[in-house]
Amino acid sequence: MTGPVVAAVLAQAAPLAACVTILVGLRRRHAAAAALAIASVTVSLVATAWLVKAIAVPDTRLLAQADWLPIAGSPALAFGVYLDTLSTTMALVVAAITLCVMVYSVGYMAEDPGFGRYFGFLALFAWAMLGLVLASNLLQLLVFWELVGLASFLLIGFWYERAAPAAAARKAFLMTRAGDVGFLLGILMLIRALGLATIPDVIAAATARLEPGFVSTVAALLLMGVIGKSAQGPLFTWLPDAMEGPTPVSALLHSATMVAAGVFLVARLHGFFMAAPAVMNVLLWLTLVTALATATMAMVANDIKRVLAYSTISQLGYMLMGLAAGSVAAGFFHLTTHAGFKALLFLASGIFIHHAHSNDMREIRKAGPAPRAAVIGLVAGSLALAGVIPFSGYFSKEAVLAALGEHAGPVVVALAYVGVALTAYYTFRMVFLTLRGESAPAAHVEHHTRGAGAMAAPVLVLAALTLVLGWLGGWFTTRLSPLAGHEGPLAFGTGPMAATVLTALGVLLAWVEFGRAGAARIGFAERVPALRSFFGDNWYLDRLYNATVVRLATALSRLARWNEHTVLDGASDGFAAGTVGSGRVLSRLQAGWVQMYLAVLLTLVAALGVWLLWPGGAR
Amino acid sequence: MTLLQYLSVAALLFGTGLYGLIQRRNLVAMLIALELMLASVSIAAMALTTYAGGDTSVGLVIALIIAGVAAAETAIALSLFVVIQRSTHSIDVEQLSELKG
Repeated sequence: MTGPVVAAVLAQAAPLAACVTILVGLRRRHAAAAALAIASVTVSLVATAWLVKAIAVPDTRLLAQADWLPIAGSPALAFGVYLDTLSTTMALVVAAITLCVMVYSVGYMAEDPGFGRYFGFLALFAWAMLGLVLASNLLQLLVFWELVGLASFLLIGFWYERAAPAAAARKAFLMTRAGDVGFLLGILMLIRALGLATIPDVIAAATARLEPGFVSTVAALLLMGVIGKSAQGPLFTWLPDAMEGPTPVSALLHSATMVAAGVFLVARLHGFFMAAPAVMNVLLWLTLVTALATATMAMVANDIKRVLAYSTISQLGYMLMGLAAGSVAAGFFHLTTHAGFKALLFLASGIFIHHAHSNDMREIRKAGPAPRAAVIGLVAGSLALAGVIPFSGYFSKEAVLAALGEHAGPVVVALAYVGVALTAYYTFRMVFLTLRGESAPAAHVEHHTRGAGAMAAPVLVLAALTLVLGWLGGWFTTRLSPLAGHEGPLAFGTGPMAATVLTALGVLLAWVEFGRAGAARIGFAERVPALRSFFGDNWYLDRLYNATVVRLATALSRLARWNEHTVLDGASDGFAAGTVGSGRVLSRLQAGWVQMYLAVLLTLVAALGVWLLWPGGAR
Repeated sequence: MTLLQYLSVAALLFGTGLYGLIQRRNLVAMLIALELMLASVSIAAMALTTYAGGDTSVGLVIALIIAGVAAAETAIALSLFVVIQRSTHSIDVEQLSELKG
């Protein structure tokens, strides 16, 4: 094995070993569990950083595989690692954010009795996510994809003894699984048609060996998995509910990395998807609508984590729009910067929540001044999310808008700009609701000193990163979209000032409604009851699902129960009753009367004799 | 006498024994009926070996074996009847129906 392969295997093996060790032996030993998990992810971080240096910096690629499953009539299905700029960079992002979140969790989860289990699950997630990113084969990728889903389920439902997290975990699992059915079907169709599922070979076959119609079908099926995992289109409603999990989990899985797996998949198979332009056009519109719709939902939410969850869906929409428009660099650049600033926002909000013991932004404000690190983190993250120059979100959003301006129609671009203004509005609504307005006196007794440092340090590191990551745009462009050529380190969209002006307008509106002294602290959308309930209720999508899918499923399960109880149980009960009844009838022959047996015997022997001796009879 | 006459006597004896075995309810009477049936088989065997030609001693051997078996069987059966009489105070087969289903 060459050096990069060893590093890739090491990056996956370390968290796996930590996960097994913690879940088997260290659940009660909290300090040891946390130390082991953090050490293992540090190993992964070093390994992936070295991979970036070895693979991404010189922009080479490396495919190392071994035989896995034999298929009749074609070479065996392989498993291994496929290292290129995209996967190594993503692996580094995953390892870095995971490490930040683990360090933060030492403080955040300090008093939780499930501390050891929590770190075991985080290590499980780290292994699964790194395996997903580095996988060379689509089927192998699907295995890790589902393992990531399992980690998500376990961590959303971490406080399983409460009803809401348990229900949210179930909902997340079922909704993403609904998409994964399509994903699996798509992979199976590919394997059937090509006899392989190795990622570069699949991309090469898309334009060479496969018919356009087949490619479109497979692309649409694969996108179902993407839509479920990345919480887009009709399958996004699980993500706001997933906020029932611990806040560091929301930061890691449900904003920075796991939900970005769908975006990563589209980037990974971009050549394949671009061979189905009609499907990509549908994806473009779907994600555009999702981005705008969830932005409106974020405008009326009062739970700080739900605001962030909606904004995550919206930003994932922007990433996919960039990819659907044809620019891997723009979409993946936005993924990277978003991973940094959204993890930052969640971690900062976690400090607020710890401080105020409430998710409600108004309650957080009333609880009095929060630790300084939280304020710095919230402001820096919000500036990046809203896209204020020179924070990282500005550059990546400009890159996405530039890609849209180049490849999509004017309607799409205009709507994307509307989304930019909405983003700035809801982001600063959150900032002003949390940081301005009436508050308790500052003489608040600080009783959460334990672990405060562990929580503050990752927040400050990520806050610093929001000022750094934005300058990497050129790095992504030259490697991932070498043909685009126009996006330097300072990427500008169709109108360099348009986004900035719209952002400023959004922030200004938020200031007038929420920020200035004596503001009403109620937004324009919240004033209209109809809009408020429409936006606040996920555009009634959950009600629609309850009225259709859930009701259908309930009816089907009722039918199944009737079938079980009446048809199946009835059949076996009837069989048993028939056996007992016929036994009762036949037992009358056992009269205990020897002479009757003799008579019967005689009769039968006589009959046998007649039958055998009858002329021309039996023989 | 012809073979047919011997066989007729044997069949008559056999039928009588069978009738008695089925009809009588007393175990001792049934045992007597059974002895009749055994005797009829002895007659038939001897008559057949005599009239079919060949070695007549075969029939004699069969008859002797049957007589020995019948003696042993009677000894066992009668001792069983005594035990049954002691435990149930009856040797009526209609009373002995504990294996009734």
